[in-house]
Amino acid sequence: MTGPTPTSLESRIAALSDADLARGFEAFRSKLSAAEAAYLGACVHCGLCAESCHYFKASPELENVPARKLDHVAAAFRRHATAAGRLLPGLVGARNFDRDLVRAWVDAVFGRCSLCGRCSLNCTVGIALPRVFRAARAALASMGLVPDDLQATVDNSLVHGNNMAIARTDWVETVQWLEEELQAETGDPQARIPLDKKGAKVLFTVNPREPKFFPLSLQASAKVFWAAKEDWTLSSDPGWDLTNYGLFSCDDEKAGRITQNLVDAMERLGCETLVIGECGHGYGAARWEGPEWLRGAFPFPVRSVLELMDEYLATGRIAVDPSCNPKPVTLHDPCNLVRHGGVTEPQRRVLRRAARSFVEMSPSREESYCCGGGGGQLSMSAYKERRIASGEPKARQIRETGASVVVAPCHNCIDQLMELNKEYKLGVQIRTVAEVLADAIVPGPREEGGACPRP
Amino acid sequence: MPAPGPLELALCAAAAWALLALVALAFRTRAWGRRALHAPPAGDAAAGAGARYAFTKGMLPQAKESVRTHLPSYAAGLVFHGGVFASFGLLAASLAGFEPGSALLRLGGAAAGVGALAGLGLLGKRIASPVLRGLSAPDDYVANVLTSVFAALASLAAFAPDARAASLVAGAALLLYVPVGKIRHCLLFFPARYEMGRFFGRRGTFPPASRRAA
Repeated sequence: MTGPTPTSLESRIAALSDADLARGFEAFRSKLSAAEAAYLGACVHCGLCAESCHYFKASPELENVPARKLDHVAAAFRRHATAAGRLLPGLVGARNFDRDLVRAWVDAVFGRCSLCGRCSLNCTVGIALPRVFRAARAALASMGLVPDDLQATVDNSLVHGNNMAIARTDWVETVQWLEEELQAETGDPQARIPLDKKGAKVLFTVNPREPKFFPLSLQASAKVFWAAKEDWTLSSDPGWDLTNYGLFSCDDEKAGRITQNLVDAMERLGCETLVIGECGHGYGAARWEGPEWLRGAFPFPVRSVLELMDEYLATGRIAVDPSCNPKPVTLHDPCNLVRHGGVTEPQRRVLRRAARSFVEMSPSREESYCCGGGGGQLSMSAYKERRIASGEPKARQIRETGASVVVAPCHNCIDQLMELNKEYKLGVQIRTVAEVLADAIVPGPREEGGACPRP
Repeated sequence: MPAPGPLELALCAAAAWALLALVALAFRTRAWGRRALHAPPAGDAAAGAGARYAFTKGMLPQAKESVRTHLPSYAAGLVFHGGVFASFGLLAASLAGFEPGSALLRLGGAAAGVGALAGLGLLGKRIASPVLRGLSAPDDYVANVLTSVFAALASLAAFAPDARAASLVAGAALLLYVPVGKIRHCLLFFPARYEMGRFFGRRGTFPPASRRAA
C-alpha cells in the first residue's frame, strides 16, 4: 500500500485526462536514454538494496525498498515499452500508466526518496535509481504534479531571482551590515564584502538561508576570503543565490532558467570562477546538471568553496590554530556534494587542520547516509513526518561519534540536522565548514600555532 | 558427434530464439540513445576509470554494504550463477557428444547441483520474506524455478545418462523464457553497470578516494 497523496495533488490526479496521462508518459520517455532503459529492465528484485535506504532503515516496510520504488516506475515502462509487458503484463508485473500508478509514482519518487543515490552503490546489478526517479519526477512535473511547496520554491527563484523571495534592497543591506560586522571582528577597517566587483577572480554564491537566517555563516565565508586576501565578489542582482530546486522538481526547462542567473552574473561581472558556497544540491545543480540543462559547457570553471578553503590552507594563504575549536567535530557528507558531486576530501583536510579532534561517522564519504533533507524533502511539508523519521540513521551515526559539533557543508542538510538534533535529543552544535575554519584563523603571520583570536 | 534428435534440435532452436531475442533487446536498448554530456568530467579518464571500478573492486563485499551485510545471500547468488553457467557447459558438452562420467563433467555436475540448491534456497527466501514476496511478480518465481530445475537436471544428467532428455527439455524451456522476464538481466546487467560506473566515474566518486591508493 502506498501512502496517502497530498490533498492538493490528489485532486489534480483525479482530474487527469487520458491526454494528460499520455503527455506525462511521453515526458517520461523523453528523459530516457539507453542507460535508463537498461536500468528499467535490469532489476532482479533481490531486495539487497533495502537496508541501503534511510527510509527503509527507519521504517522497514515494502514501499520503502528502493527496488519497490523502482518497480512502480518500471511497471509502466514494461507495459508501454516492452513486448513482454504488452503481451504478458500479469507475468512480468507490467501496469498501465493510469491514475493509480501515478499516485504510486508520486508517493515513491516524491514521498519516499531524497534522490541520495545510496541504493545505486549497493545495487547488485548497478542500477542508478535516482536517474530513473528523476525521469519519473519530470513526468509528474509535466502533468503539474509537483508538490505545491516545492513548486513555490522553484517559482520564487524564477520570479525573484532567489528561492526565498528576498528583495534586492534587503540582500544588499544585509551584506553591508555583515561587512561592518566583519570589520569589527577582524579589526580591519579595510575588510570588505564586495558587491558587483567587476573582473573579480571569484564570484561567490550563497544559499538565501544565509542572509535570511544564518548571516554568521556568510560572515564566516567572508572572513576566510579576507584572510586569504581573495579577489572575490557577490552579485547584488540575480546570480547570488546558488540554490536550484529545479533539480528536485526535475523540470529541466525551469532549472535551466534558474541556472542562467548564475551564467548571466558571471558574464555581467566578468569573473573567472564561479564558486558555490556550502550547499550540496547547489553544487550539483551548477557543476553537474547546469551545463546539461543549458545544453553547453560553461565558459568558466565551477568550484566548491570547500576546494578553495583547502587550497588556502595547503598553500599557506591562511593559517589556523586548531585549539580554537577544542570540541570534537564530526562531518556530515551531503549526498549531492559527495556521492553525486565528487567533493569528498577537501572538507576533511580543512577540518583536520582547523579542529583539535575530528571524528568520522561510520559509514562516511560516498557510503554516508542521507540526513533525510535532500531531494527537496525540506520543501515538501506533506512528507515532513517521514522526513524526520528517515533521519534516524543519521542521528544514530552522529550519536555514535560522540562529537559535540556536527559540520555540514550544506544549508539544507543543516536545517534537517537541526530538526534531528531536537527530535533525537542529540545535544550537538551544527555548523558549516567555514564557521569552523573562520574561528581557527590566525590573522597576521602565515604560520600555524598562533594565539586564538577569539576566547 | 551423434546425429541430433528432435530434443537436440528443439534445444538448438530455443537457443537461437534466446540469442536473437537478446540481440534485439540489445539493439532496442541502444536505440534509446546516449545523452550528450556537457559538464566537464572530474578527470580526463574519469568515466572509464569509474566503469572499470564498477566491474571490479566495486562489486566486492568491501565496497558494498548490501553485500557485506548479506553475505549468505551474496554467496548463494554467486553459487547459483556459477551453477547455471556450469549447467550450460554441461549442456554444450552433452550436445558435443561427451559421455557422462569424466572427472570434468562430474565436477560440472557437482557445481550445477550446488547451484540448483542455492537457487532453491533463494526461492525459499523469496517465499519466506514478506518484503521479497511483496517485491515479486510471477516472473520472479517462474525464472527461479526454471533455472533451478534446469541446473538440477543438468547435474543429474552428468552422473545418470537417463536424465539427459529431461535436462535438454529443461534447458530448452529456460532458453525460451530468457528474453521474456527477469533473466534478461544476463544482458542488461552489463550496460546498466557500465553506465552506473561511468556516471559515478565522471563525477569523481568512482573509484572512491579512500580506495584509490589500494
